[in-house]
Amino acid sequence: MSYKSLEDKIDQGTIFLRYNVKIEGGASKPEDDPDVAEILPTDEPFRPISLTILNQDRDKAIDLVKKSLDDGVSPIDIINNGLMKGMDAVSLLYTKGIYFLPDLMLSGDAMMESVKECEAVLGHKSETKATVVTFVAEGDPHDIGKNLILMFLRAGGFEAIDLGRDVPADRVVEAVKEHNPIFLTGTALMTTTMTAFPKVVEALEKAGLNVPVGCGGGAVRKDYVESFPMSFYGVEAYHCPKLADAILKDKKDWKDIREEYSDIVGEFVPEYS
Amino acid sequence: MKRFTRMEYENPEEMLFGHAKYPVKLGKDFELGAGYVIPELNVAPGEGSEVSKEKMVSEYKGIAYSASVRAVNVGLPSFILEHEHIAQQTYNPDWGGACTAAEVEVLENFNDEYGIKTGLRATPADIRDEEKGTGLWGSDLYIKIMETVEACAENDANIISIETTGGKSVSDYGISRGDIKAILFGIGVLGSMDMEHMWTEIVSICNKHNTIPGGDTDCSQSNTAMFLAGGLLGSDCSHTLAAITRAMGAARSLVAVECGAKGPLKDCGYENPIVKAVSGVPIATEGKNATCAHSDLMGNLIAAVTDMWSNESVYHREEMGGTTPQVWLQTLGYEAALMNTAIQTGQGKVLRDLYTLTDKYRDPQALILAYDNAYRIGQAIVKNGDDPYLRAKAAALEAGAIINEAVDAKKMNLTRFERDTLDNALKILESLPTDSDKFTKDCIKRYSRKVEDFDPKNYEL
Repeated sequence: MSYKSLEDKIDQGTIFLRYNVKIEGGASKPEDDPDVAEILPTDEPFRPISLTILNQDRDKAIDLVKKSLDDGVSPIDIINNGLMKGMDAVSLLYTKGIYFLPDLMLSGDAMMESVKECEAVLGHKSETKATVVTFVAEGDPHDIGKNLILMFLRAGGFEAIDLGRDVPADRVVEAVKEHNPIFLTGTALMTTTMTAFPKVVEALEKAGLNVPVGCGGGAVRKDYVESFPMSFYGVEAYHCPKLADAILKDKKDWKDIREEYSDIVGEFVPEYS
Repeated sequence: MKRFTRMEYENPEEMLFGHAKYPVKLGKDFELGAGYVIPELNVAPGEGSEVSKEKMVSEYKGIAYSASVRAVNVGLPSFILEHEHIAQQTYNPDWGGACTAAEVEVLENFNDEYGIKTGLRATPADIRDEEKGTGLWGSDLYIKIMETVEACAENDANIISIETTGGKSVSDYGISRGDIKAILFGIGVLGSMDMEHMWTEIVSICNKHNTIPGGDTDCSQSNTAMFLAGGLLGSDCSHTLAAITRAMGAARSLVAVECGAKGPLKDCGYENPIVKAVSGVPIATEGKNATCAHSDLMGNLIAAVTDMWSNESVYHREEMGGTTPQVWLQTLGYEAALMNTAIQTGQGKVLRDLYTLTDKYRDPQALILAYDNAYRIGQAIVKNGDDPYLRAKAAALEAGAIINEAVDAKKMNLTRFERDTLDNALKILESLPTDSDKFTKDCIKRYSRKVEDFDPKNYEL
């Protein structure tokens, strides 16, 4: 029997189902999503600024921000009431599965460049809730997960320090001493690099430093992460701002997070069930 | 270097698992792609074993022994052990050499005692990193890699492979932002250039030691797209974009063969059916028996034209059924036995087609790798074979055309995200220059500004 005639005999629906196509609803404008509508500002000039972030329009975002600054609008207000609101809406749409990674990254690029314009007028960095340090495990060149974390943390109002890829333990310790973060995130994609995490914890302990270390990424296992102290297993990049908030506001430590992860991030997380 | 400008296979129907146009001889009565499929096992060392050379050697000796015992106990005629280096083994070439020697000794002992045919593939790590500004070619890290290749070859590894990472900073930027131009530049231009540099030297070292230069994989780029794309509910990379990224990866991975690699190409190169269609070398692939390492949407289809069936990687630890080398080699061995039985009973092509059809329309990434479509992408590559940029672009366009035809035939439905990103990517690809220098110049200007880690000097541009 030929390949073609075999193919014609198949009833696809009994072999596999493309659930992704099946679950799609009708197309709508992102700003019309009821949850997004609650987040976005309604007043000028903040609404159009937030919409440029929502629509990943970097050039228009910078233009509108510059114009508002020229009109005497406070740079802090532009950041908090315009740019951050737009980014909050982007993060929400991403977690709802309506927006995708490219939307998030391009919105993040537009927000960061617009924030720089505001900071130039302010004359200093804008205020943030607290500092978080991020790194990729020693020996690992994969940093998209870490870049996602940076984007979510910055969108959540945190100063996120990026130590880059393939970061040795002593470099992490130096950065913790320098920036005094409330939280440290480490990521690894390769099956061979997650062993860098306990070395980081050991080096931190040796230096007398105590900071919760969230470890996650492609090949990282929860049971492994929980085999050494000061750490917890991180499941999704978008959980990071909620985890950081819990550490900052509710004074949760790594032991609490291991126990309460699902409650803190506000959703069912099978790894923690 | 001779580029491929014609297909080594006359038509896709000729392609079948266990059969390559140009089999590779590993030893007496042991060939790859010579009429039978061989399981290939890869195991990552357990945590803590990386602390010293002695612990590493002992770990790998244990893996080789454990796998060999199970292979004999379930009656496997042959298997290949792959040793993918962790960074420490390539930073310290003597570690890589010592581990290789220990593994080879175990495998040879089993061969002597039971006659089981065994071989070792050593895969040093690509420890170079654009971010650190240490340079890609001729840097200290580059030298370490080549010293490790030499150490493995000297210690009797049968096959040498590597997963090179040239162009990754730019392609990662493109994959995470849906920027097809960046992906094409990162894979088709920078990746291909880096491959040529690396593989010219690797082949020369292998030839000196009579070791087989196996081949590469576009793991660091196309698999990044595939992993981000994830399952059907994944939202980090469109599956159509991941599919055309894979097609470009084939144009890039072919460079190793053009530099003298003989196959088997590395298991995680899902683009391998395309490279096999063009070049005729044996390939390793992985799918349903690699779920220990990751999930894909083509677990059966990717077996259709394989020559070595792999598990990708698994941590060295205990399962209920034995150690992971034992458990996963056994699953691979049974699947290879099914394929070999099909070949011997004249049912090989039926099984090939069944493997293909179970997954062909499951996802756009699977669709373009069905052997008939892989062949079409190969044809697009060789038509532009002399120019790495143009052939990667042609591969992407052909992959897009294949997906669109399946949509028109109502065999595949796309999500809006898949539809929009595909339309957008094809529109951009069609508008790109036909002159590779012009494209390269444009991209240098654009991505030097946008991608912090990209330094054209690393590629002598």
